[in-house]
Amino acid sequence: MTKTEIFADGFWHNNTIFAQLLGMCPLLGVTTSAENGFWMGSATVLVLLGSNVVVSLIRGVIPKNVRIPAYITVIAAFVTIIGMAMDAWMHAMYLVLGLFIPLIVVNCAILGRAEAFASKHSVTDSVTDALAIGLGFTFALMLLGGVRELFGHGQLFGFHVFGDQYPDFLMFILPPGAFIALGFILAGVNVINRRMAARAAQREAHAEPAGEAVGAEAG
Amino acid sequence: MVMMVVALTVVTLVATLLLGVTDLVTREPIHDAQRAMLHRTLEQVLPPHANSPMDDQVTVKRDGKPIPVYVARDGSGRIVAFAWVVVAPDGYSGAIHILLGVKPNGSIYAVRVTEHQETPGLGDGIVRNKPWVHSFSGKTLENTRWAVKKDGGDFDQFTGATITPRAVVKAVKQGLEFFQARRKMLLHEARQSASSSREVVQ
Repeated sequence: MTKTEIFADGFWHNNTIFAQLLGMCPLLGVTTSAENGFWMGSATVLVLLGSNVVVSLIRGVIPKNVRIPAYITVIAAFVTIIGMAMDAWMHAMYLVLGLFIPLIVVNCAILGRAEAFASKHSVTDSVTDALAIGLGFTFALMLLGGVRELFGHGQLFGFHVFGDQYPDFLMFILPPGAFIALGFILAGVNVINRRMAARAAQREAHAEPAGEAVGAEAG
Repeated sequence: MVMMVVALTVVTLVATLLLGVTDLVTREPIHDAQRAMLHRTLEQVLPPHANSPMDDQVTVKRDGKPIPVYVARDGSGRIVAFAWVVVAPDGYSGAIHILLGVKPNGSIYAVRVTEHQETPGLGDGIVRNKPWVHSFSGKTLENTRWAVKKDGGDFDQFTGATITPRAVVKAVKQGLEFFQARRKMLLHEARQSASSSREVVQ
């Protein structure tokens, strides 16, 4: 796989949220605003970068039987380091995200990348994968956070979009709103994917001789 | 087998080492950030003062636990207010920490919630709803019915959230009762702790 393919795969085709439906706990828990989504995503990107690089570096050395505890130790160390750093230098955000930072350890998306990708690929490929997966995850968190903030509070990144008389639409802020908004977003993603597939099929059909193309379109 | 033990030991040792280093590096900034946070909130619950209340504490025991009480004094050293943290254990989701600023005569200057896990959009009105937060100012044990309106008191509840404001009102009331009971002792100790203090504003 080329770097571009790895990136497209991690960011979109194999997106943690849209395709794998992993990492639901931080997704539904912290996405009451786009800003929360951004910082949670950023913390996850840093953890993924760290764990993917280290796992890729030690992939030849760690015996197969103990690889999972080794990976988890690596991930937990990075999560704790990033949690401490946030507590020290971004105290206000740390208080908001609080509980969800240590919970990154059990975000199966991260162990998933260590096991499925970093343990089988070079360091540079693993960095690309970490960035792609991490940014894709951040994008999903911000999208859901933005939708909930926009409809729930009429704001985006704290700015009043619909004027400051907007009556709060509580359902979007409460947990059920997260599930419902996520459902609509997933439906949208499926529509986009289907269009993309249809367009790709059409392009292929056009590339082939005229007679066969008609048949393909009819089918 | 040996290789497994060696591998896990090395991974754990390196991780521990990294965590130790991070702790050393971040300990001071975390401490500073927490102090800055406390300083900001103290400034909000205390009237204008000339000293640094964070460094001007007296310690009082409540249910056997020592509670730091921050003392605010004006330029001539007179005590203008006290501030301390009260905890409402019965919030909708967990304990709510409230910083309470009280004048020596027992009336509230201001209250601020410093820690909570209440529902965003409902119970977190105790932080976001400014008129509600400010409705505590000037209240004393005598001039106020300490309950939410639903329970026949003077404080608004929020639409869809009664438990949270009820818990806060109760904790603030208990804080005032605590102050009432220890007022003389507090004033005495605060005066003792500062040589510059002369008299107390009533």
